[in-house]
Amino acid sequence: MGRLTPIDTTYFKDERAGDFTVIGSAVQRSDARGHVTGRTLFFEDLTPPGLTHVKIHRSTRHHARIDRVDVSGALEVPGVLRVITHEDVPNNWYVVLRLIGVGPDDEPVLAEDRVLYRGEPIVAVVAETEEAAREGAARVVVDYTDLPAVLDVEAALADGAPIIKQAGTNHFVYEGHPCRRIRFGDVERGFAEADRIIEGRYSSSPIEHAPVEPTGCIVVPQGDGRLRIHSNTQAAFFTLDNTALILGVPPTSLRVVGGTVGGGFGGKVDVIVEPLACLAAMLTGRPAKYVYSRAEEMQVSSTRAAEHIHIKDGVMDDGRIVARQVTLYVDAGAYSRHSPYGTTKAAAHMPGPYTIPNVHVDCYCVYTNRTPSSAMRGFGVTIGDFALESHMDHVARELGMDPLRLRLKNAYRDGDMKAHRKIASGTALVEVIQSAADLVGHDLPPEYRAMSSAERPEG
Amino acid sequence: MPSTIVTLKLNGTERELIARPSTTLLSALRDTFGLTGAKRGCAQGGCGSCTVLLDGRPAVSCLIPVVTVDGCAVETVEGLADGDRLDDVQQAFVDHFATQCGFCTPGMIMSATALLNREPAPTRQDVTEAICGNVCRCTGYEPIVTAVLSAAESRRDGAAEGRHDSAAERRHDGAGERHRDAAAPLSGKAAG
Amino acid sequence: MLISVEMPDSAEAAHASLQAGAVPLGGGTHLLTRMNDEAGPDLRVVSLRKAGLRGIDVDGDTVTLGAATTLADLEDDPRLGYLAGCVRSIASPPVRTLATVAGNLFVPQPYGDLAAALLALDAELDVLGTAGLRRERLERVVADGLPEGELVTRIRFTAPAPGTFRFHKASRRRLNSGSIVTVAARLTVEDGLVGDVRLVLGGLSRRLLRAAGAERVLRGAPLTAEVVAEAAGADVIEPFDDAYASAWYRARVYPVHLRRALLGA
Repeated sequence: MGRLTPIDTTYFKDERAGDFTVIGSAVQRSDARGHVTGRTLFFEDLTPPGLTHVKIHRSTRHHARIDRVDVSGALEVPGVLRVITHEDVPNNWYVVLRLIGVGPDDEPVLAEDRVLYRGEPIVAVVAETEEAAREGAARVVVDYTDLPAVLDVEAALADGAPIIKQAGTNHFVYEGHPCRRIRFGDVERGFAEADRIIEGRYSSSPIEHAPVEPTGCIVVPQGDGRLRIHSNTQAAFFTLDNTALILGVPPTSLRVVGGTVGGGFGGKVDVIVEPLACLAAMLTGRPAKYVYSRAEEMQVSSTRAAEHIHIKDGVMDDGRIVARQVTLYVDAGAYSRHSPYGTTKAAAHMPGPYTIPNVHVDCYCVYTNRTPSSAMRGFGVTIGDFALESHMDHVARELGMDPLRLRLKNAYRDGDMKAHRKIASGTALVEVIQSAADLVGHDLPPEYRAMSSAERPEG
Repeated sequence: MPSTIVTLKLNGTERELIARPSTTLLSALRDTFGLTGAKRGCAQGGCGSCTVLLDGRPAVSCLIPVVTVDGCAVETVEGLADGDRLDDVQQAFVDHFATQCGFCTPGMIMSATALLNREPAPTRQDVTEAICGNVCRCTGYEPIVTAVLSAAESRRDGAAEGRHDSAAERRHDGAGERHRDAAAPLSGKAAG
Repeated sequence: MLISVEMPDSAEAAHASLQAGAVPLGGGTHLLTRMNDEAGPDLRVVSLRKAGLRGIDVDGDTVTLGAATTLADLEDDPRLGYLAGCVRSIASPPVRTLATVAGNLFVPQPYGDLAAALLALDAELDVLGTAGLRRERLERVVADGLPEGELVTRIRFTAPAPGTFRFHKASRRRLNSGSIVTVAARLTVEDGLVGDVRLVLGGLSRRLLRAAGAERVLRGAPLTAEVVAEAAGADVIEPFDDAYASAWYRARVYPVHLRRALLGA
């Protein structure tokens, strides 16, 4: 199979020896035969003898105090073996980010005295059949006292907003600061010197990964006392470590069998189902399956965070951007999961691949009473890029300028100091834009054609 | 809860199972017969990953109480290959990178197979319509559509060359006849 | 959960089971979605699959569909070509293999597109009740429902004359999507003026809606953009929010889709 377009190696000629031999050629996927014959094994393709089923009673409220939990109805359902409440969970915290040194622990495995989002798990029911588990979960009774809910990031940070987090703020705290910050140059001076101020507000909704295979696992107790976890996790070792911490057992007592994921996209990085399935297996001595229904997958599995992004640019009439201020709000939903990290990634991505002498960025990781958001394909970056590049187009329109020329003029060059005080290298952005223009037949004048990532034109 | 003995002609072989009223065809295939190619993606008939052929027609097996299809012919992805030899649709999916995570693939292939059994020379639009009930979240569908069109072409070429394809013949007889019988004119028994 | 599935071999036997408290199971494409996911009281169902209710008769211009005829059967029948666009707009092939004609009459909006078409064709039903078989207009059944325990056995309608049946459905995706707005109409035009017209709307109310106001505007009027625009304002619609569209959006685009249904553009 021939290449669609020749590979231009000139830019990296001093960095790469030899030729590309795989890119552009057809290589059969190693897993394709298994996929087309139905022989690829996904976690749910296992049916161990004596398998039990876990279903969850979930919060029906966005934000409420739990006054009473009555599980007696569940225990009366024929086939129900156990109910699991927070009291049964040895260390009742999801600790996903503790493994990379981020705290505090903020999310209970099963709710204790309050719920912070609709769908939050409160009681797990283990039963002989899926139907019995479902019926048992439906028969759990929870009494609530509703508390005021916050469903918007900017409302959550407004004066007088109800504080929903026990840490005392509706935002994550970054080394004493309410947001992840970038300060470079003097953005106010930049605005004062600019010919034009061009602002834009951008926002996105939560996005569900919607893998065709729902999140789930099957845990099988082994003869040697270990638990074998068959999971569709995208992060086997995260799962192993977090589950061990929650169960209060050494990691060596668990074994994760993974590797086959029926669509993940980042949605199967949180460690949600494994700890409860392990607990069910430990408490019953039998294999246990916990898999989301489609409705659960859509409602309670993490989403890509909704974001609000405000961009204010100081722009010269010739197209140079001399100052950029970005205020970005990541909607973490009710709990941190990977969002404090995602917000840091968002800050690291600003102000985009442009060299701007004055930059001021505030990225807030905000808690609301919505489904927790977490990892998804370039999280923290993708929505930021949507805002940045939409704004570049907006600036180009305001100036009456070709949007590609605006980008070429501002594109970072090798050797430029970035707002994070790192020297840019291997940028190649100028060349990529030039090649893209060629591919779509977009004319560029000679001075733009002559630009190079290796040097910055004067001016 | 009375259980019933159900007989299926499963990938060409008579098989029996003892089924509860709530047992779906999908669960019978996966849990009783170990045919785990059909997947449970939604249990709502919405994702198509459990698609099998029921009397020659594509059907979401998650929405069928298995006792209601007693005596029917059921074909699953496991019945397509002839030993190690993939059938045309399977081979085309391999060749055209029409799989990624693989979870939708068996259902997608069964929908495609149903189409090609009825329409040997489908248009791109025919393929799109045939797989509109099969959700793929990874590939973006284009390689799948290309694979199905390519499979149709190679089947036609194979037929022109008189190649013997026992799997394809098995699909073309029996099941299709049964389907036409079922849609026969009304008997008038309760027509009043 | 399902605690029993009966498989009667006649409509009478099915009716007897319904009288004993079971609920009818057509293709299962609505009922099973709930059984698979939701807790609930024990349920006994009567499958109509082998009750002799599947088949299509065309006698002159009278068409009779067995209640358990599948949507796939309709799709396959060249005599029902005028329904093909409607049927193929419903769900997907692996669902249409199962879904039945009578089932479609009783699914909640925004589904039931075939019911919209059959209502536009002024279909009548054979209903088996305790007093035996009787005929009911579909229009009455759509409005009032049927008493529990009764069984639809046949759907009968007069085939529309060529070119007189219109079906147009707006949806989020071109294929396999619930309706945002469905328009089904039987309409004749004589000497440039609308003659007979029956107009049915889906997606614009919790039940299928006979657009009597629009019919009055159209009847005897030229089929022009102005007249159709006036017709679009002549009925009280009560659209709803769901995952496919908001009530606001449905109301907003209804005139556009009425125009597309009647004028083709």
